Amino acid sequence: MTSKTTGSLTAPAVIRELLRIGAPPWRRLALAALLGVLGALATVGLLAGSGYVVDRAAFRPGLGAIAGVLAAVEVLAFLRGPLRYGERLVGHDAAFRSLARWRVWLYDRLEPLAPAGLLGWRSGDVLARVTDDVDTLQDLYLRCLLPVGVTVAAATLAVALVAVVLPVAGAALAAALVVALSVAPAAAVATGTARGREAELRGRLGAEVVDVLRAAPELLAFGRDAEALAKVEATDRELTAIARRRAWSTGASGAIVTACLGGAVTAVLALGVGAVHAHHMAPVMLAVLPLAAVGAFETVPAIATAALRANDVVAAGRRLLDLTSIRVPVIDPEEPATLPAGCPRIAVHDARLRYAPDLPWALDGMDLDVAPGAHVGLVGASGAGKSSLVHALLRFWPLQEGSASLGGVPLDTLRQADVRRTIALVDQDAHVFAGSIRQNVTLGRPKATEGEVDGVLARAQLADWVATLPDGVNTQVGEEGAQISGGQRRRIALARALLTGAPVLVLDEPTAGLDQESGAQLVAGIVDDARTRGTSVVLVTHRARDLGHLDRVIVMENGRVAHALDGPEAAGLHDPTRPALPDGAGADRPTPV
Amino acid sequence: MSTTAVQRRRGGLIDRRLAARVSATRRYLLTAVGVGLASTASVVAQAILLASVVSSVVLHGATLGAVTPRLAGLAAAFVARALLGWAGEAAAQRTGAAVTSTLRRQLLRHALDLGPVWLGGERAGELSLAATRGTSALTTYFGRYLPQAVLAALAPIGILIWVGAEDWPSFLILLGLVALVPVAMVYFGRESAARTRLQWRRLSSLSARFLDMLRGLPTLRAFGREAHGRREVAEATDGLRQTTLSTLRVAFASALALEFLAGIGTGLVAMVLGLRLLGGHVSLYTAVAVLLVSPEVFLPLRRAGAEFHASAEGQAAADRILSVLDVETEPHEGREDGRTESVEAPPNLDPGGRAGGSLARGRVALSAHRVTVSFPGRATPALIDFSVEVRDGEHLALVGPSGSGKSTAIGLFLGFVRPTTGRVFVAGHDVVLAEAALWRHLLAWVPQRPHLLHGSIEDNLRIADPDASEARLTRAIELVGLSHTVQGLPKGLATMVGEGGVSLSAGERQRLALARAVVRDAPIVLLDEPVAHLDAHTEAALRDTLGPWLESRAVLVAAHRPELVARLDRVVRLGTGPDASKPGCEPGSEPGEGSEAEEDVAEAASQ
Repeated sequence: MTSKTTGSLTAPAVIRELLRIGAPPWRRLALAALLGVLGALATVGLLAGSGYVVDRAAFRPGLGAIAGVLAAVEVLAFLRGPLRYGERLVGHDAAFRSLARWRVWLYDRLEPLAPAGLLGWRSGDVLARVTDDVDTLQDLYLRCLLPVGVTVAAATLAVALVAVVLPVAGAALAAALVVALSVAPAAAVATGTARGREAELRGRLGAEVVDVLRAAPELLAFGRDAEALAKVEATDRELTAIARRRAWSTGASGAIVTACLGGAVTAVLALGVGAVHAHHMAPVMLAVLPLAAVGAFETVPAIATAALRANDVVAAGRRLLDLTSIRVPVIDPEEPATLPAGCPRIAVHDARLRYAPDLPWALDGMDLDVAPGAHVGLVGASGAGKSSLVHALLRFWPLQEGSASLGGVPLDTLRQADVRRTIALVDQDAHVFAGSIRQNVTLGRPKATEGEVDGVLARAQLADWVATLPDGVNTQVGEEGAQISGGQRRRIALARALLTGAPVLVLDEPTAGLDQESGAQLVAGIVDDARTRGTSVVLVTHRARDLGHLDRVIVMENGRVAHALDGPEAAGLHDPTRPALPDGAGADRPTPV
Repeated sequence: MSTTAVQRRRGGLIDRRLAARVSATRRYLLTAVGVGLASTASVVAQAILLASVVSSVVLHGATLGAVTPRLAGLAAAFVARALLGWAGEAAAQRTGAAVTSTLRRQLLRHALDLGPVWLGGERAGELSLAATRGTSALTTYFGRYLPQAVLAALAPIGILIWVGAEDWPSFLILLGLVALVPVAMVYFGRESAARTRLQWRRLSSLSARFLDMLRGLPTLRAFGREAHGRREVAEATDGLRQTTLSTLRVAFASALALEFLAGIGTGLVAMVLGLRLLGGHVSLYTAVAVLLVSPEVFLPLRRAGAEFHASAEGQAAADRILSVLDVETEPHEGREDGRTESVEAPPNLDPGGRAGGSLARGRVALSAHRVTVSFPGRATPALIDFSVEVRDGEHLALVGPSGSGKSTAIGLFLGFVRPTTGRVFVAGHDVVLAEAALWRHLLAWVPQRPHLLHGSIEDNLRIADPDASEARLTRAIELVGLSHTVQGLPKGLATMVGEGGVSLSAGERQRLALARAVVRDAPIVLLDEPVAHLDAHTEAALRDTLGPWLESRAVLVAAHRPELVARLDRVVRLGTGPDASKPGCEPGSEPGEGSEAEEDVAEAASQ
């Protein structure tokens, strides 16, 4: 799941890419920036203006001499707050709009990777990535682009104002600002090298916390709880040490800004004093200079924060962009073939499949032929390749060698959506979403009528249970179906598949979690049902009793067919008194006890 | 305690409740406030020096040389302020880190103490969010907001007293405006805090929803409903944007109010000072100094307001964490109720034994006496009047349909489920009364849904016994028939398996859990549906290889099909049938009595 390709992307390239994906609402951003600059200038004007007022008034020139400036000062005093308010609100709105785009983008990146491409992801890690990294991106506007733009523009204008009063003081203020604007951000990111390590530690901490919470039963039963907590604490200590170093450099950066401000105030005052004595400047302007300097520095601390956040944003952006470099396992053909209507024949010939070049073949010369309306069982030990065959049939993972076709059309010339419309899957780990039973069942066909839903609930042998629930089909199943039993979860997944009305039904271990009797009953019901409807069934199972009603049973071993049993032979499998399968074949135990 | 009282307690000041739990905070907090006050003093010093320079030069024509010492003092005041700010930053970080770490530790420990049953009902994703993001957000709250809030209460008073001594009209103006601040803060702050809490909840549910969609991606794709998940994500995000913006409108309004008051303050003070200067009622020195200091009256308040908003997420997280910490663990019952700890003679324990230990032959390994278990919020008890006894070396199966209480029974012996009535013993220890350390090491357990920790296969085996030798691990892997699989992995035993064990099949996970039990090498073995994901062939092979290992141990297996255990001495059937409305228990019977239980053994054996 790791990739190196975007690690080499430069920071500007990452930001460009993020801006492209986030499609920033430029007009809103420009408006926010304008309001920000006006707000900053209002501060400079308010301070410098009131300095002028008191200085001038000290010479007691009469009210008329100061009335104009005084009025302007009062206006600025009123305007400053609303200008800032507008800037922040408009800026946040812009950021949130992009945030929604980034989130959906992330979903779109992950979607084509499921299921096989997402193996190896830790849910805690994905969660951390999604919530933290994407949330970090909003700072690109709020804490990076906007403050930098506003500060540079406002500082330039403030310098110009001071330069008009006394050019040399303007130069001194400019020098102090340049030092503050360049050194302070550099100091803030001085510990930036630790940032990668910090992100890694944060990921680890998340995984460890999830471990403690999810594996709590095992940790307690084996008395390892204290150890697991100690691990979390060790990671936490390392993170704290990094945070301490960072606080040190952030503090240094803030100190530099204050020191530069002190330098600017002292310098312009000293220069002003000299200018007053040299008669280069009227004494009434003396107080204006230091006050304007204070105003010019007001937004400078935001630059150091901007530098820090820019680092974070780029790191988070890089991690997110990494996702684009994970190869999507299956891509739809440019000009897809059309699938003939009706129940198609499934044919697989000499198929080989593996998930990575350094992993063993999961399918290794597999053959399969399912005639329209046939009911085929697929048995074999764990790791024999049953689930990989299901992955290949549903176009979740491509075959590296050999061929597979649906209704005579090569599988890889078909659109994934068409294949999955034709083959309904009840997966081994079929997911039950937080929501109601109805929402979960109608996922198979959102426009299904009440009657159709009731029909499939009955066929999946859920109707009686649902009838006992106070809220019926509207009962909430909880996260991952936590409020219902494993057997009910499987039946819901089955009902969902039945509702699609697809001509081929692939069932991957549909009876796990059910007792033998009800499992066999459920399968028998489904197969009989399919027979009357003329649909095909591929049943992956490890239980001999489930195989009773099938036309053919294929025993898989090491990714290929070991044996195939036809008709009556297969039918005899459910008879517990017969050792049905050839030795070692795996559908039943070799010697009855 | 009544519900409202609980709510009132929960709604109490978070910092007080936090301070009660995290003792180290007070010292750091005082440091931060001290630094802040010193910083304010340096600001006042700057104002005085600057005003005096301006006044001397403008009114008395002082030369640069004459004011140089004061200019040097001015620069020094700035340097002092710079250094104080640096120290303040460090103090803030320490405070935040201390609280974050302590609280996270307490949260996880408490969650473990509350036990698997409680955790099962919680959303693990949501709680882990609170334990990572949530506690991190607390850093801001504790490190920045709290010291700033204290400072906001102290610094303006100090500055106002000084202004009052210099110029009383300015003092009155500033006092009036400052008096308005708490009104604005309380009004907007409360509103904002409530909304931010709402936002935190939505964020939690957003991440839960996002995770749900990600986990369900294979299913969504299988049904061609990728677009549905995409819409769910987009809608949740847009909903978050709207709530966040409405929160911000209020949160920024409080900032607006503060900024507005500060602006007006400077404007009004400038006007009054200007007019009084015209009338000659005040000196230029006083005017400049007061003018310079007047924004500083509002600055600590504005900062506190900004930090309040930035830390609101932390407060919401703190609320969530404290509400978990407030859930009381069921206390170990006192022994003064007169019940004796053990019904049997004291167990024969391996003294000092960690994992493993042994029992004397013929001792009762597990026993439950008339146990009923009712879970809160469930109409029917999970177990009714359940009694069972497993002696050392005896193999007993609990059979019954789903929901008949098999896992609950296993949970009783692990101490995860507490009997509502009745008593449960492990090797003579009452699991409710005795410390878990006394008896848990005697148990090896294979859970129905094993969780694999993020780490290697070896790490996962070693949680059963950290000191197990390499040979023991290899033998355990062999015993459960995973040798071939493990050898096929890129790094063998050192191969990483994810949280949830995503790269292993359900069957392999289950066998790894069995191997873990083998490594545990304990005298009592609890098996909860150990073969639910195994094919018959693997199961048969397992039965043959595990047989000798199980032989001398006390075994309790809960299963639809207890075939894994080759030699079953007794079978106890829970529930009275598939549609039993009252889960209960029929007494176990000896094989050969011709009972239903015997039939079960026969049926199990014949399949």
